[in-house]
Amino acid sequence: MVTTRWWRQLIVISVLTSLVIASVQGATTDSEPGRPRQDFIAPLPGSYTLEVIQRAPSGKVLDVDGRVYPLDQYMTGKITLLSFIYTYCVDPVGCPLAFQTFIGLRERLSATPNVARQVRFVSLSFDPTNDTPTAMKLYAGQFSDASNTLRWHFLTTRSVAELKPILDDFGQDVSVQVDTGGRPIRLYNHMLKIFLIDTNGRVREIYTTAFLLPDVLFNDIQTLIMEEQGKR
Amino acid sequence: MRNMSGDDMKTTHRRGPWTISLVLVSFFSAPVGVIADETCNSPYLASLIKGQEDFIHVWTLGVEGVGDGSDKLVTVDVNPKSARYGKVVDFVSVKGRGEAHHMGFTDDRKYLWAGRLDDNNIFVFDVGTNPAKPKLVRTISDIAQKSGYVGPHTFYAMPGRMLVGTLSNAKDGSGTTGLVVYNNKGDYVAKYAMPTTTIGGVQGDGYGYDVAINPQKNAMLTSSFTGHKNYMTELGQLINNPEAMKRFGNTMVLWDFKAMKAQKVFNTPGAPLEIRWSLKEGDNWAITASALTSKLWLVKQDSGGQWQAKDVATIGDPAKTPLPVDISIAADGKSLWVNTFMDGKTRLFDLSNPEAPKQVYEKETGKQVNMISQSWDGKRVYITSSLLANWDKKGADNEQFLKLYSWDGKELKEQWTIDFIKEKLGRAHHMKLTAKPTKNAALHAESQSVAASR
Repeated sequence: MVTTRWWRQLIVISVLTSLVIASVQGATTDSEPGRPRQDFIAPLPGSYTLEVIQRAPSGKVLDVDGRVYPLDQYMTGKITLLSFIYTYCVDPVGCPLAFQTFIGLRERLSATPNVARQVRFVSLSFDPTNDTPTAMKLYAGQFSDASNTLRWHFLTTRSVAELKPILDDFGQDVSVQVDTGGRPIRLYNHMLKIFLIDTNGRVREIYTTAFLLPDVLFNDIQTLIMEEQGKR
Repeated sequence: MRNMSGDDMKTTHRRGPWTISLVLVSFFSAPVGVIADETCNSPYLASLIKGQEDFIHVWTLGVEGVGDGSDKLVTVDVNPKSARYGKVVDFVSVKGRGEAHHMGFTDDRKYLWAGRLDDNNIFVFDVGTNPAKPKLVRTISDIAQKSGYVGPHTFYAMPGRMLVGTLSNAKDGSGTTGLVVYNNKGDYVAKYAMPTTTIGGVQGDGYGYDVAINPQKNAMLTSSFTGHKNYMTELGQLINNPEAMKRFGNTMVLWDFKAMKAQKVFNTPGAPLEIRWSLKEGDNWAITASALTSKLWLVKQDSGGQWQAKDVATIGDPAKTPLPVDISIAADGKSLWVNTFMDGKTRLFDLSNPEAPKQVYEKETGKQVNMISQSWDGKRVYITSSLLANWDKKGADNEQFLKLYSWDGKELKEQWTIDFIKEKLGRAHHMKLTAKPTKNAALHAESQSVAASR
């Protein structure tokens, strides 16, 4: 069991290292199969409306220090970008793509601290069994530092029983691959979805792989910020 | 009321020849069609089936005196390795008859939304849990109340929601209509009117039909058909009513998809129907067929990046009004199947040069044919027969079937036919393919197992 835990930690470190290297090397390229392409100029922020798709669900989550918080705390008060991940996911158009996208956006948004303070990122694990708060902390590294202008929260849950209603309410599908004997293995099948949530906890956009275009995400966030400013 | 601007007048004038030719043809013909194949699904859809499909689901119109007489979702086993290959393995009847028409998967491919053009009900079937036995899980009945639009036609998956293209409106039953968005839970989200103003020099007619999105171009195309009054009218009456025959769509619209704003209206006379984007990497074009003018229309970016539409080929002899009703594009964008309802023919066009498609093959595949869907590898071609309950042919020509053909690059060879009347099912219309789920465990089972092993 100890060996297994060590092996998992190694995978987490390897995945994280590859993600950071990839992010440093730049965004996705056109030649990468399955990666989204953007052959257009994204509509200007505020030139369109993001409709209210649904309310973000409620529930309970654990932060990287193992403290229990209501999910609402991470779904309201700021503009939130949420993705479901698991720390050892290696599907190039799955969690790593979400991670890369978040890193790129974080850099762009952080260029304007006043904007960055109005935004938060949330990465919530599919796997409460393996992705303990400690594992999430390891995965998050410096990205989860409370001193960062743009806060990025790496969350997990106490159990599948607490996670599943959240997944179901968001409409995030997930299943676990099984071996030839029908036993679950450590890989999840899921459709990549990133949720943009307004300050009132309402889902305003959902991005799947074909639609995960950084310029569009950036302008959508700006659009919601402008909407907030218009209320003041 | 439509704005009769100069552009609209010009459009009206162009209707003349095809209107006349339609009246001259048999009463047993009809415009319109529908479709569904792997190459026509929303690019937002998960897990396109690129291998062997296991099941085909046929949204079937109930016929009085045939079986239970109700509309139903019919499931056929289409895996050649199955003992029940080519057999109906299940059907789910829904209450009554409401002009069952088209279907579309949700983005996760777990649910199939199926619409009815007359009573506006949308039925949501769970096809993900066990595609051999779909289960009705929800009925959405508020589209007219929420949006004012009726005739839910096209169901196009967007992330976490469904874009519904409609055909008409609740106020006057004309073709003025719009797009409606629901979330995947079945809650109304938004609506968008089809343009009725002049955009890019062309008058929008406000009509709707199909929807197709190219996410990398942020381009959405819509086409146009006709309203509830027309599509629910007996075909014989319709073609003898010159005023009614003027009320067909003559435009396509290019939208800024992100902003959901119309950018350009194209003049594409004669009820342009199904729209298919080329799925080949780097291609920047879509194609459609206009039912009443029997043309193939190409919508493509010009050298300046501007979108243009032009007719690039004729389908059969337009003077005989063959009525192209459905198309199916190859996964590599190199060829296009076209079904023409009137003459019951299935035609293949070479699209190697989309600016000049050439017909390379044709075969009569039924007395009346409507929908056509090909497998991702192009080796299997499925065909159904029904257009609309009031527009299908009469008597012996009113064949109702699902047929599978194999395609070897030279010849369509019939593999099997299911007679939907003999099987007491009804009128076979739209098709969607599914595959058995891969061997995955549900999340709760995994949790228990892992917990036990620790």
